Amino acid sequence: MFLTTKIAEGVNLHIRQTTQFKTVNFSIKWRAPLTEETAAARAVLSNVLHHSNGKYKKSAQFRSYLDDLYGTVLYFDASKRGNEHTVLLNIETVNDQYLANSNVLNDVLDLLKTVVFEPNFENEKFVSSIVEREKEMIIQRIQSIFDDKTRYAQTRLAQIIRPNHPASISANGTIETVKKVTPESLTDSYYSMINEDQVDIYVVGDIDVEEVQNKLIQVLQFKDRTPKKLEQQNQESKPEKEYTKEQQDMKQGKLHIGFSTPVLFGDEDFPKMQIFNGVFGGYAHSKLFMNVRERESLAYYASSSYSAQYGLVYVVSGIEPANEKKATDVIFEQLDAIKNGEITDLELNQTKAMLTNQLKEALDLARGQIDIYDQYKNLGETFSVDKWKERWAKVTKEDVQKMASQVKLEAIYFLCGKEA
Amino acid sequence: MKAIEFNQLDETLYYKKLSNGLDVYILPKKGFSKTFVTFTTKYGSIDRTFVPIGENESITVPDGIAHFLEHKMFEKEDGDVFQQFSEAGASANAFTSFTRTAYLFSATDNIYKSTETLLNFVQEPYFTEETVNKEKGIIGQEITMYDDQPDWRLYFGAIENMYHTHPVKIDIAGTIESIDKITAEHLYTCYNTFYHPSNMLLFVVGAIDPTEMMAFIEDNQNKKEFPEPTPIERHFEDEPLDVAVKERELKMDVQKPKVYVGLKAKETDLSGEEMLKHELSVQIALECLFGRASDFYTEVYENGLIDESFAYDFSLEKGYGFALIGSDSTSPDELAQRIKEEINNAEQLLSSEAIERVKRKKIGYFLRALNSMEFIANQFTRYKFNDMNLFDAVPVIETITEEDVKNAFKTIQGESQQTVFKILPSSEKEA
Repeated sequence: MFLTTKIAEGVNLHIRQTTQFKTVNFSIKWRAPLTEETAAARAVLSNVLHHSNGKYKKSAQFRSYLDDLYGTVLYFDASKRGNEHTVLLNIETVNDQYLANSNVLNDVLDLLKTVVFEPNFENEKFVSSIVEREKEMIIQRIQSIFDDKTRYAQTRLAQIIRPNHPASISANGTIETVKKVTPESLTDSYYSMINEDQVDIYVVGDIDVEEVQNKLIQVLQFKDRTPKKLEQQNQESKPEKEYTKEQQDMKQGKLHIGFSTPVLFGDEDFPKMQIFNGVFGGYAHSKLFMNVRERESLAYYASSSYSAQYGLVYVVSGIEPANEKKATDVIFEQLDAIKNGEITDLELNQTKAMLTNQLKEALDLARGQIDIYDQYKNLGETFSVDKWKERWAKVTKEDVQKMASQVKLEAIYFLCGKEA
Repeated sequence: MKAIEFNQLDETLYYKKLSNGLDVYILPKKGFSKTFVTFTTKYGSIDRTFVPIGENESITVPDGIAHFLEHKMFEKEDGDVFQQFSEAGASANAFTSFTRTAYLFSATDNIYKSTETLLNFVQEPYFTEETVNKEKGIIGQEITMYDDQPDWRLYFGAIENMYHTHPVKIDIAGTIESIDKITAEHLYTCYNTFYHPSNMLLFVVGAIDPTEMMAFIEDNQNKKEFPEPTPIERHFEDEPLDVAVKERELKMDVQKPKVYVGLKAKETDLSGEEMLKHELSVQIALECLFGRASDFYTEVYENGLIDESFAYDFSLEKGYGFALIGSDSTSPDELAQRIKEEINNAEQLLSSEAIERVKRKKIGYFLRALNSMEFIANQFTRYKFNDMNLFDAVPVIETITEEDVKNAFKTIQGESQQTVFKILPSSEKEA
């Protein structure tokens, strides 16, 4: 799918030539171990790099230039996966063939060098006023989670079941760790990212592979590095308590339940766990939707998600606060049903069809191709949809039943209004 | 079947009006494995007062009914339609907006089977008092969920400020009280009036052969009987040009205040290319004034009046239209004041240089969006229902002049058309 070239030790370039899209997509992912401190520093860093660089010191100048390049989209972002923190740079630009006499691609490649290697420094460090402003933006981003009750409940549950663990550490760090960032420490973080991180560079589009490859090697002069070994996660991290109820000024009750499973991404049993989650609550045919919503009319949404990087399964539902007990009972009944082997062929087949479709659909997006390849490349095999389809096809009722029996309740979190 | 070529975009669109009145559009996409299909009726939350098919007197139905109907279409005598889509590996969904109700699916296999499921479930209503009453709990929770979302409340609060009578100010899902009044009979009345094929559009985009797909759809439709199409009579009360409320606020459990400045559009009776040009011109003006590259944005971002939530948008349909500009802000009044100053000084601020830059940006935006099947199908349908053509957007942008942009902006600029809506933290002490 992608043509991979090592351009320096720890730095890989992955290119995919395709006529599928009207745009060319670039992605650079810098990866380092995830802690609250690194996350905070790198979230601020991604914002600072997003807004200014040595050539376009003012955000408005920079954005005007991007507008001139036919609205080329360029953004830095912070995210996490497993116990790694990722700073990513994404660029999407219109393919020149759809524009009258233009060489946008070449300009974009030059710009890539500017945004990565020519930061906006004064006296060899980031500008204090910009650093302070972007720290404030990240702090506000962290605070805004409070206003989105579903996200807030999800964040609280993760903190309860996996305190001080990558599963609950935000890719933006915490308000306290963001406050500690200084122009000096941020400059160190920048050099550490550029010189020490694992780097993956992706290109997808209708391009001349050799030309783009040569140009990228020329503009992205990364040195050899031996990326820091990421410590194994799964330090035993026990939930604080099994049931937590919190109250805010709101109408709906947000019922969030966390379970654990020993099965992680890439494990032998991983495809079985994916099927389990599909039968349990991943889709509109799943037991949670069919029973909590359709049969009992308790909720508008009731679903489960499998966080395979951390071996966790989350159930979420928005309910009338007075129905908390009933909804909890119906949710556990569904899990018990799977444990007892009450799984129909229809449920299995629907789940297998949906998983296959999801994967194939994701591959119809340039961003999807990059993300899937990036995620599966470490499994030591060539990724193909058929391979996964085959693995899912083999999964039986008994397998799903076994997965359910290994799923263990970690904690229940309920967020609701004050009068309830 | 007609083939419409868009050479510069490297796309060919196939079209046929079927004998029952249904408009079918098919856009084959090379190199993709997915197909996305939408089946949309020109019927949304604002269509609450109308003459039911075959009758003479107009009626007003309970608020939230178009959305309620959308939910109930998925339930049949033999179960839930989602089950059939899942079995075929298709992701199905639906949405109701102010002016449209759309049913859709995407899939990479069994496309014909799922297309048939889509056509059949939307064209075979099944409502009973029992199933209607059962849905009230589910939709009740959907309404409650939105009630707790500050950004949704901000959006509707600003619209409520702007409109005196127009039903755009009523929440799409209605209220717990209004949906309680809905009966199976209401649903049949709305269904029969608005779901006639002549009021609907089917859009298929993706990995398909257009000839085969058109024949398949036509065959499905020819097997069904529909009454003769009749024009639909909708009624709207007169809506004054000025806003209903100049300023209003709401307390919620939020960390930081939120504010929207709303601008009520005067020009809401356009259609076709005139509307397309007008709408694009207003969008260009807003981008020049408030975009990331504007002086305004630099100033308010640097002095901390806004954060990453800052946004602006323009909506236009027949009978209503509005622009919204705002952000989470610790100083919502000061921000609203600054936004209003920009609006009032637009004549000076809209430079030809900025307009040309934004036009390029917008052309790039449309070309990028054409990678997205969801964008193409949903936007094409919305444009078509207003007699506009999505694929004309790029050539029309190229013709837009400084004067067009300035004139278009004048239609939303007036002092009496401006309103401010704020959400303030409930814990905040009264000033």
